[in-house]
Amino acid sequence: MSENPYQTYDARILEVKDLTSREKLFTLRFLDPEVGEKFEFRPGQFVIVDIRGFGEFPISICSSPTRRGYLQLCIRKAGRMTKFIHKMKEGDIIGIRGPYGNGFPMEEMEGSNLILVAGGLGMAPLRSVLWYAIDSGKYEHIWLLYGTKAYEDILFRDEIIHLLKHGEAMNCSVKLAYEVESPSCIYLERGFSDRVCRGVVTDLFRGEEFDVNKAYALICGPPVMYKFVIRELLDRKLSPGRIYMTLERRMRCGIGKCGHCIVGTSTSIKYVCKDGPVFTYWDALSTRGLI
Amino acid sequence: MRYIKLPSENFEKFFKSLEAWGTVYAPVKKGSIYSFQEVHSPSEIALDYNRTMLPPKKFFFRPKEAILRLKNGRWEEEVEAEPMVLFGLHSCDIHGLKILDKVYLDEPADPYYKSRREKTLIIGISCMPDEYCFCKSLGTHFAMDGFDLFLHELPDGWLVRIGSVRGHEIAWENGELFEEVTDEDLANFKEFEEKRSKAFQKELPQEGLADMLDLAYNSPVWKKYAEICLACGNCNMVCPTCRCYEVCDRWVDAYKAVRERRYDSCFMENHGLVAGGHNFRPTRLDRFRHRYYCKSYFDPSAGYNCVGCGRCDEFCPAKIEHVKVLEEVRGSLK
Ligand SMILES: Cc1cc2nc3c(=O)[nH]c(=O)nc-3n(C[C@H](O)[C@H](O)[C@H](O)COP(=O)(O)OP(=O)(O)OC[C@H]3O[C@@H](n4cnc5c(N)ncnc54)[C@H](O)[C@@H]3O)c2cc1C
Ligand code: SF4
Ligand code: SF4
Ligand code: FES
Repeated sequence: MSENPYQTYDARILEVKDLTSREKLFTLRFLDPEVGEKFEFRPGQFVIVDIRGFGEFPISICSSPTRRGYLQLCIRKAGRMTKFIHKMKEGDIIGIRGPYGNGFPMEEMEGSNLILVAGGLGMAPLRSVLWYAIDSGKYEHIWLLYGTKAYEDILFRDEIIHLLKHGEAMNCSVKLAYEVESPSCIYLERGFSDRVCRGVVTDLFRGEEFDVNKAYALICGPPVMYKFVIRELLDRKLSPGRIYMTLERRMRCGIGKCGHCIVGTSTSIKYVCKDGPVFTYWDALSTRGLI
Repeated sequence: MRYIKLPSENFEKFFKSLEAWGTVYAPVKKGSIYSFQEVHSPSEIALDYNRTMLPPKKFFFRPKEAILRLKNGRWEEEVEAEPMVLFGLHSCDIHGLKILDKVYLDEPADPYYKSRREKTLIIGISCMPDEYCFCKSLGTHFAMDGFDLFLHELPDGWLVRIGSVRGHEIAWENGELFEEVTDEDLANFKEFEEKRSKAFQKELPQEGLADMLDLAYNSPVWKKYAEICLACGNCNMVCPTCRCYEVCDRWVDAYKAVRERRYDSCFMENHGLVAGGHNFRPTRLDRFRHRYYCKSYFDPSAGYNCVGCGRCDEFCPAKIEHVKVLEEVRGSLK
């Protein structure tokens, strides 16, 4: 591989799938098989996507490392560059560099229960954890608590509904909260009355008993969500060291050079791109501005 | 460390010998401002300068530079580096480069910075503080490493400290220009350093500074200064340890594009802006405070992110004084 960390590697878009009106799922494969072979990642890591001549942006890897040979990115149309990639088609070539960041400590959590708490687009990095945990079979039980705006906004809807139906056989319980009522939601709620409700993601904690000594929480969602979810977890006496969250900041380089993702004060400075994007609640307590 | 003496009458020959290594850059006076410029004779150099406006970081991390060039749909890299001699760096600037090294040479190293750094000879020179300097408080007023040669002024020449193998080579190849250091030279060196130590007018007390600043997060002093600050970002541009950059792709013609980076400033509103318009540092207060926290961050292995060069004070159009802000913030803790 190149010595130059800013160089990106050609990847072909194998498939583009509409997930919602704003998010698309891009399935990619590196053109050079050797690059693809060497590209190893852990759930929670991200890549920098390079649209040559237009710019770069960071995106979490949403596929699981247990499923080799391809890479999936769930990209929301948010602005200039993401709008551009939304116009791209199967067969088009983009650049990828990475993987970057620390990712979730999957080995450390083996044998435990995982509580995945996702809000909106936060589902993307947690999907990597979800399938890694299910495929590897090394975790006792997996809860996925997913808060979404409306039925139409549910990311990976087929997978979510599949897990609502058959998840228990894979040690996985999925719970869904939606905010905007629609016939489809009511239909879902009727089918899974104990697991689908109208409300926000914290409502899904109601009635759930987690063995806090055997559980880890992994959170990803919009900035406002963290405070409420963390309060819910702390109320249940989950140790701050077992609460992991993945954060977003402005990123340019992804490797600790450009300074955009720096947070903190005179006693603790952290780079979200290389010290994170996954942090524990202890980190948040000692580094101001993290959440 | 090895010490030798360069007598005044050999200075010119010594300077000429440096040209064999690479292009020589040294502080030059232009109007009332000093800057590092290409020089061809010692007479062009302002040996007694206080500080240049742009620090020597501009030679390694350029104000604007292409990092990749797009040709036929592929990025091409150009890690070119010319051999250079940076002559006459003050101790604080040498410390500034060491702080930048920690960022840019940390794995994965920035190849552009790295190749320029490797091809550059650093020659330090002693200085007298002026009213803006506070490097003594930060321990950056004396460089123990980070240079190839360091020249200390003596009444009849220079006491030279040799700080690297390359420095040894230069001294070896030009052996006839140097002499052994005498007891008199030593006495003069000691006298100069004592005089210099007493000349500092500004001081930043260190005791518990990092913690107290952190505790004073909500101090009204931040707000007071944020209102005076023009958010021009000058302080970032001139700071030897500020290294934020922004990246942009630019088309040269229909077939060619460049990926450029340029200095960025955390005072700019879009520094913390992410997609969808969410800003992690939306107000000028947030951004002002952020710069001070970033500069005052204490890394146990490398010290502060500020070397006390005084540039941000001298070149701030709003006359905001770095030390004064920190002292007032600390003082506001009751
Ligand atoms: C670790 C991480 C993981 C992420 N994971 C995902 C994910 O899985 N899915 C997802 O959809 N999103 C993800 N994001 C967010 C994603 O990076 C942004 O949505 C994306 O950068 C938006 O780019 P844009 O150009 O479309 O948006 P814009 O809003 O146009 O631009 C985004 C930023 O770039 C700046 N900018 C725009 N144009 C220029 C220009 N010409 N020159 C300089 N600056 C410019 C803007 O000021 C803004 O700060 C992630 C972000 C991070 C940090
Ligand atoms: S140079 Fe002075 S006025 Fe300009 S941004 Fe810095 S502190 Fe503010
Ligand atoms: S913060 Fe000011 S005094 Fe400190 S290194 Fe930067 S420019 Fe120099
Ligand atoms: S993204 Fe550049 S330093 Fe983190």
